[in-house]
Amino acid sequence: MNRKTNPVEKIYMGIIFLFMYAPIVTLIVLSFNKSKSRAKWGGFTFQWYLNLVQDSEVLNAMANTLIIALIATIVSTVIGTAASVALTGMKRRTRSLIMGVTNIPMINADIVTGISLMLLFKVLHFDAGFITVLIAHITFDIPYVMLSVLPRMKTISPSVYEAALDLGAEPFFAFRRTILPDLAPAIISGSLMAFTMSIDDFIITYFTKGSGFDTLSTKIYSEVKRGIRPEIYALSAIIFVAVLILLLLSDRMKLQSGKLASRARAGGNEKIKKIGGIVALAGVSLAIILMALAFGGVFSKKSTQVFVYNAGEYIDPEVIELFQKETGIEVVYDEFESNEIMYAKIASDGAAYDVLCPSDYMIAKMISNDMLMKLDWPELPNAQNYIGRQYYESAQAFDPSNEYAVPYCWGTVGILYNREMVHESVNSWDILWNPKYKGEILMQDSIRDAFMVALARRGYSINSVDPDEINTATADLIEQAPLVQAYVIDQVRDKMIGNEAALGVIYSGEAIYTRRENENLEYVIPDEGSNVWIDGWVISRDARNIENALAWIDFLCRPEIALMNFEYITYSTPNLAAQEMIEDEEIRNSKVAFPDDETLSRCDTYVSLGEEGDRLYNEAWKKVKSAD
Amino acid sequence: MSKELISLSHISKSYDGQLILDDLNLVIHENEFMTLLGPSGCGKTTTLRIIGGFETPDQGKVIFDGQDITALAPNKRQLNTVFQKYALFTHMDIADNIAFGLRIKNKTDQYIKDKIQYALKLVNLEGYEHRMPDSLSGGQQQRIAIARAIVNEPKVLLLDEPLGALDLKLRQDMQYELIRLKKELGITFIYVTHDQEEALTMSDHIVVMNQGYIQQEGTPEDIYNEPENAFVADFIGDSNIITATMVKDELVRILGHEFPCVDKGFGTEKPVDVVIRPEDVELVPRGQGAIPGVVSHIIFKGVHYEMEVQAGGFEWLVHSTKESPVGTEVDIRVDPFNIQVMNKPASEDEQALGVEEA
Repeated sequence: MNRKTNPVEKIYMGIIFLFMYAPIVTLIVLSFNKSKSRAKWGGFTFQWYLNLVQDSEVLNAMANTLIIALIATIVSTVIGTAASVALTGMKRRTRSLIMGVTNIPMINADIVTGISLMLLFKVLHFDAGFITVLIAHITFDIPYVMLSVLPRMKTISPSVYEAALDLGAEPFFAFRRTILPDLAPAIISGSLMAFTMSIDDFIITYFTKGSGFDTLSTKIYSEVKRGIRPEIYALSAIIFVAVLILLLLSDRMKLQSGKLASRARAGGNEKIKKIGGIVALAGVSLAIILMALAFGGVFSKKSTQVFVYNAGEYIDPEVIELFQKETGIEVVYDEFESNEIMYAKIASDGAAYDVLCPSDYMIAKMISNDMLMKLDWPELPNAQNYIGRQYYESAQAFDPSNEYAVPYCWGTVGILYNREMVHESVNSWDILWNPKYKGEILMQDSIRDAFMVALARRGYSINSVDPDEINTATADLIEQAPLVQAYVIDQVRDKMIGNEAALGVIYSGEAIYTRRENENLEYVIPDEGSNVWIDGWVISRDARNIENALAWIDFLCRPEIALMNFEYITYSTPNLAAQEMIEDEEIRNSKVAFPDDETLSRCDTYVSLGEEGDRLYNEAWKKVKSAD
Repeated sequence: MSKELISLSHISKSYDGQLILDDLNLVIHENEFMTLLGPSGCGKTTTLRIIGGFETPDQGKVIFDGQDITALAPNKRQLNTVFQKYALFTHMDIADNIAFGLRIKNKTDQYIKDKIQYALKLVNLEGYEHRMPDSLSGGQQQRIAIARAIVNEPKVLLLDEPLGALDLKLRQDMQYELIRLKKELGITFIYVTHDQEEALTMSDHIVVMNQGYIQQEGTPEDIYNEPENAFVADFIGDSNIITATMVKDELVRILGHEFPCVDKGFGTEKPVDVVIRPEDVELVPRGQGAIPGVVSHIIFKGVHYEMEVQAGGFEWLVHSTKESPVGTEVDIRVDPFNIQVMNKPASEDEQALGVEEA
């Protein structure tokens, strides 16, 4: 059968190529789409590429990527080539043993390599950042260089080297003039491979980078968490094209090297020299351009930084700008989704954050695990002058001698109800058990808050670990379950604004916001009492920029800054001077934002339950949720 | 005899616990063409590499021109090597290859240019300066390798099976070429080969080696005509090696028939080996010789016929210009001068010294 006329083969090939390249083509097309929508073509534009060039963070990450890739390539090429030469001179058994060991980083799962490197750096007390990523990249690049150089090395007769020695050459000169030129194509091919791998890597970089340092791949990943911007399509398209070019060059080198091995022609060497020269020139000039671009970024910043780890949407971004402008300290700012995630990150990889903002019970846990540093109070005049005494006193529940934390935001938990739908006075948690409101009640989908409601209603401590009391509370919650519309967190706010429910358990800070959106919503702290919580700034025991961290905390305690934050995030500020400065009288005197002392005296902070307590609550919560 | 140039004394060398050279002693004289001959693994190349400085002996000394050079690096020795696979620098042209050693010695450009011309003329490759090595034939490449070595005016040229990779015709041409070069240059050649014909053709002095021991040293004629043991006899040319008994001086019993010979001093009724070269075996009509036999095989080799004759229970190899067809009944006759009597190895040590066939 004539192969050319077989349509099945062609269709098969076509389908394979379609599967392989359709996603990339889609990405590249979208990177030129004027419309931000993924479904609609809004015309052709270079806008996203232009935005990219103006985005200093992306440029910074790109410079990091290229600098790391370039240095890692050079170092791993030298080491890998030397290793290949040495291995060729070894006995076969030793050689295959060493080859097996050196290939491990290549066959090993990236995640294992990444985690083990991270652990090693931690044990050695290396600060995660540029150097650790560089070392990691060199580590996994070496096998790729060897993979390319070793087979070529095996084909080179040692007598060429010996001939040079014989003619009077010193050993290194002989190597440089005889073996190196023959190895050159394989070395270039291997180094291109290493460069590509380095640019490509995400997993290992992610585990070894620490905080505030990003390469392109980790930058893209963190962007994706916030939702994909079209600029990311553009960036991905650029990376794809760059890697493609490198791979093609690397293949060409291998081809040349193969040709050379079988039947070298006079011109072949010239050609390789030329290509090698072009590659080297292109690489070097690219690196110089990007280093110049990033000059203001990477190198000038190292000295004055502070690494901040805060809860999501828990600051006015303008405050960060103001701080940077005034102090010249660069803020490397990361956000966490929950106290537990923050704790895991700090405890596991020792990410070098200087200053953190956990909640009360988490601060207690971190103090008991020796993860925090005592504050240098003389450096915090604003914190001493403007934060109310009563908040420090409340903070003693989790920070007994006020040594570790400066209160940042605080609030209560209460009932939000719709006056249009609830025509009686709300002053007890009991109303959440009233069958009249079946299907109209929203509960917090959180163990502590749900049990707090049940325990407070019975007059028990909200930190109770008495199994009988917990059993009673559990039974109550199960009894209540049929009346509850849903166990939710953020949706309490939205559903109440939208008149979708009559009653909901909510944080006071959210209550102020909902009041603006829906006039009929009223916030109440029931007579039985409730939870008062405090989030505070603390300094990590591993902090490196302690002075900058103190400056950051004290800056946030300035009345006008605290006011900016209060107006942006609407959670109550413990800053008395800021409270005075609130312009809106209604809010300034709001009992929701700033409940009176009598109300506060009925509220308790959460304390850590201990392991046994955690276990009891978890089991009870499971029963409640399965009854739901 | 001219003066001693190189002497190896008590050289031992082993790899991975395997003894390659054992207490080797060897003297090389100025201006001689000396060949180390032996089967692969006999230690000849190792010996050459020790002289060249590419290997260091475990024990013993290398003396060059009165100086101990045992620990001297190869690039500091006054000798040059021609490698088996040419080992030309493939990314340099011919002129650069030849100039490699001279440039390291910082010679002037004019000197280098003259030397290149001289060397190319010497190896009959004038006009090849700007060719690349890969565009030359094997024989041409080997001549360039020689040119590259000799421009450095070494006192000794080491050649490690330089013709091994060439085909037969080219090899024979190169043999004459090497003899001519040796005469023109007037330096010492140390030549390694496993090809006995090459060794016999070119050498002034042959050292036959086996399993790390020197079996016999001497001129080509000595080695060929008077092999000292069965290994040498077998390795150098074709031979009939037969177990025999020395009846008394000048009389030896071979396959039950007594032959007069010229050897003495082996004692009486002593077991010995005799070597009779195939061209020394005469086939005469039945009744005129010593042992009766029948021709069992014949092939035409050009200059002579090669025949196998079954006689006295032994298969004789016979070279003759006269054809005796298969089945011809003949007698074997050997001239007394052509019977070479050798001691049989008596002890196991002697056996290890190389009687075993390669």
